[in-house]
Amino acid sequence: MLPIILLSVFGIALLFLGFAKSKAILLPATLLFIAIAFGASFVDWGKNYMYFNDMLLSTNLSIAFTAIVLLSAFMVVSLSSSFLEDESAQPAEYYAIMLFSLVGAIMMISFENLIMLFVGVEILSVAMYVLTGSDKRNLRSNEAALKYFLMGSFATGIMLFGLALLYGTSGSFVLSDLRSYVNGGVAYGSPLLLYMGLLLLLVGILFKVSAAPFHFWTPDVYEGAPTLFTAFMSTVVKTAGFAALLRLLSFSFTGIYSFWGVILMAVTVITLVVSNFTAVYQSSFKRMMAYSSISHAGYLLIALTAVGQQSKQALVFYSLAYSVATIAAFGVLLVVSRHQSGEGKPTDESYDAFNGLARQNPLLGFIMTVAMLSLAGIPLTAGFWGKFMVFTTAANRGIFWLLVVAVLMSAVSIYYYFRVIIAMYLRDGQTTAIRVAPFYRYVLIAATILTIVLGILPNLVRSLV
Amino acid sequence: MNAAYVPSDYLPVFIQLILALGFIVTTMIVTHMVGPKRNSQKKDDPFECGIPVVGDARTPISIKYFLIAILFVLFDVEVIFMYPWAVNFKQLGVTGFLEMILFMGLLLSGFYYVIRKGVLKWE
Amino acid sequence: MLTLALIFFPAVAATVTLLLNGDSAKRFALGAALLEFLLAAYVISQFIATPEFQFGFDVPWINVLGIRFSGGIDGISILLVLLTGLLVPLIVLSAFGQNYNRSATFYALILYMQAALMGVFTARDAFLFYLFFEAALIPVYFLAALWGGANRIPVTFKFFIYTIFGSLLMLVALVYLYYQTPGLHSSAIADFYKLNLTPAAQGWVFWAFFIAFAIKMPVFPFHTWQPDTYVESPTPATMLLAGIMLKMGVYGLIRFILPIVPAGLDTWGMMAAVLSVIGIVYGSVIAIRQRDMKRLIAYSSFAHVGLMAAGVFSQTTYGVQGALIQMLAHGINVVGLFFVAELIFDRAKTRQLDQLGGITRTTPKLTVLFMILMLGSVALPLTNGFVGEFLLLKGVFDYNNYLGALAGLTIILGAVYMLRMFQKTMFGKPSNNTQSFADLSTSELWVLVPLVFFVFWMGLYPASFLKLTEPAVTNLLRYIK
Repeated sequence: MLPIILLSVFGIALLFLGFAKSKAILLPATLLFIAIAFGASFVDWGKNYMYFNDMLLSTNLSIAFTAIVLLSAFMVVSLSSSFLEDESAQPAEYYAIMLFSLVGAIMMISFENLIMLFVGVEILSVAMYVLTGSDKRNLRSNEAALKYFLMGSFATGIMLFGLALLYGTSGSFVLSDLRSYVNGGVAYGSPLLLYMGLLLLLVGILFKVSAAPFHFWTPDVYEGAPTLFTAFMSTVVKTAGFAALLRLLSFSFTGIYSFWGVILMAVTVITLVVSNFTAVYQSSFKRMMAYSSISHAGYLLIALTAVGQQSKQALVFYSLAYSVATIAAFGVLLVVSRHQSGEGKPTDESYDAFNGLARQNPLLGFIMTVAMLSLAGIPLTAGFWGKFMVFTTAANRGIFWLLVVAVLMSAVSIYYYFRVIIAMYLRDGQTTAIRVAPFYRYVLIAATILTIVLGILPNLVRSLV
Repeated sequence: MNAAYVPSDYLPVFIQLILALGFIVTTMIVTHMVGPKRNSQKKDDPFECGIPVVGDARTPISIKYFLIAILFVLFDVEVIFMYPWAVNFKQLGVTGFLEMILFMGLLLSGFYYVIRKGVLKWE
Repeated sequence: MLTLALIFFPAVAATVTLLLNGDSAKRFALGAALLEFLLAAYVISQFIATPEFQFGFDVPWINVLGIRFSGGIDGISILLVLLTGLLVPLIVLSAFGQNYNRSATFYALILYMQAALMGVFTARDAFLFYLFFEAALIPVYFLAALWGGANRIPVTFKFFIYTIFGSLLMLVALVYLYYQTPGLHSSAIADFYKLNLTPAAQGWVFWAFFIAFAIKMPVFPFHTWQPDTYVESPTPATMLLAGIMLKMGVYGLIRFILPIVPAGLDTWGMMAAVLSVIGIVYGSVIAIRQRDMKRLIAYSSFAHVGLMAAGVFSQTTYGVQGALIQMLAHGINVVGLFFVAELIFDRAKTRQLDQLGGITRTTPKLTVLFMILMLGSVALPLTNGFVGEFLLLKGVFDYNNYLGALAGLTIILGAVYMLRMFQKTMFGKPSNNTQSFADLSTSELWVLVPLVFFVFWMGLYPASFLKLTEPAVTNLLRYIK
């Protein structure tokens, strides 16, 4: 649990570092802080420890998710150099909020007490509301923040209601108590309360991971938020949300799988179908990525419905593959749109922004291509093995109809991911050569290499968990 | 974990709830029915017996008020933590004291941050 | 280990090619392709005609799932390894006449494609097969999309979506089969052969595989991507598609459908065979009406591949043997024909049959070589096409007389469209476009001569190829009985 303490302290430290005259120290300091937390998260490797009066539980699984979240954060932060050029931005505060939100994410990943889940969700969400609206002069950003805040508060409210019902029926917030309560037959209280409570709790978390039909906020918020925070949101929040769901469902509520399994499968199908077909009709790249992130929530849900060791591995691998590819894609978008505004053109976040990109910038084109291939699940990228593992978990449980739906939908998804590749390589555009800062470039290259290496040797991560 | 609760144990709560709601609803209905009513333009003004109404109520207010208000809520709530600590001061002993020091330290660093940011400066 | 070299050598060579520029990239790619051909030739000379896999490699890859990185060459794959090894250097050479911009990327993509194709034909693990099956799509997509004709973007996109849709269905079938294997699951193709599936399950698996491979080949009614893609692609990409890539489909039929789902084949095989035969007749009739040379050859290829599929579905030794030998023969012929079409287009600036004519006056070498390739495609005895088509038709006849009779139309119709094409281009009065038509240059000659050499070798002494495949085919057909 070292990372939680470290990140809190580092967050405060960053606030004060912001008073220093030179802002240049902030970025390296933040990266260093995250790297330290990343290393510290492995201290408990191989041991199962309860922390803070049985509030949090550290397992290898939770450490793996923590590592993914920290890695995503590290990459996102390293793409943030533009803050330092912007006069009105307040980098110290942004970085501090990001670190605080990571604390929330880690709490969601390793909670043992439902109160911690709630507190974690709130820390993460409130940080996200602020970051979404951080582009203060941009009306879109304001609108997005307000929408996110209002809908998010309702979702947490519903979730809290669910928690209360669960407590009312079982008399405890602790996961292991809930487990024995569910498994021991429902002796006291009414099972209806239990079901209602679980349902409301699920609705709350499914909202956070933007699964349909709780996804309506996603496109607007993703589009309105500054690209960097969109990348942060679509990776960290999603990974943490799924880790929380996994912990909750695969540990405490396996006894009533017949109840939530059906609900999640219905949500999965709706998510996959709605998101993929809607994504096809988007003209904005960012909106497309929003629907893509919804659709990936659908694939992750498939693994979730198939409880077991395999589904854990699948979730870890998929989250990693998805996070890395998404950040690389947003990273390229960020460079391109900054280049546009640097040339005095209006910022364009549609597919057309990428027209002819690969002519003058083969490296950026390649990075984007690999990211898109990985998201689409084409072999020799990490995304393929992610999808593959997810599909096998469904097959393992014999749910072949779900598998067929998922496969058909991923065929649909190829359409919208390839539009980017086509725009970059085949359409004509005036994009000139873009100068990318060395560090920025290394991060993007590292993401690409990671994607390809995991595509060839998926064992590297699998054997860990 | 006291598992002995049954739904009927919550009955008093429900009765209280119904009574509370019932009281409000009844009073509202009764006042409408019992009280005499004379409507006129003057009488329908928000402030019947004050100065005449001028302009719109939704004028912009300086953001400083909100900041101060929010900060007040924050520190106010955090100070509440000191009450239970003070009550249990003896039992918690040195550990409790150190923990409180840490807590207050964090709080004060927040306060320092607020001052350095110039939030409390009123220009 | 030799198989591993066959797969990885082109991939490494391709990466080196990317780093070179212009002419040196070109020459390096050709050298690498030739070396790869020598390697393939050596493998074939050392190949012993038994049903066993040879020159193999087998290492654990994804332990938890029991997936192994394993491959090797047996009688089913040997001719396709030869085909890939033989055609790629010729395809590279055929591109020398054209000045493709960013040529290093162009040749590198061809070599990447070769690596993936070699992988497809030699994989012994089902997921490895799938991996290469998909990986082969990426380079050829970019080849077609980057250097293609005016309408290339929608056309190649359609092609890509179509094929990936099919292969995803195959993935479902593979995952299903994987979970049927006993114990700690295994994805070795050989283990799939041992499964005892219920007839209903076999039916589903059959369709999943069939649609995947039918799109790749393509078989009627999954062919709508094909003519446009062939026409819009740059000719080297068309050659790769028609010459080698569509064989992935036929190969898949033989490797997966025949031994794994015999009961599914019993139930649905007739329907698949009928679809294939419809494709033969339909493709041939449309080919007769074509005015664009490239489009005509595309439809002819569609018709020929229908016959191969029908032969496989006949489930006879003749049919499968015929399909194997015909894959090699068709690859050679169709690459030759596409090359001639490109060559004519290059000089006459048109591919429309009614704007061509009289080329033969100035081009004795081209006429002779073109005619031999054309006759091979028509399946004249003593050429390569004859052996394959004869065996295939024999197989289909044994399976069902009526289908056999219909499929036999391919010989007559094939002669009609091929001879029409030859006559319209080579004979008659020269048009404005063909007034001055240069004969073959040396490099062009070097593309066509090896092809013609193989046309005769296979036509005159097919036994040297048939004997390689026979034990494996007999062994494979055991699973059906």
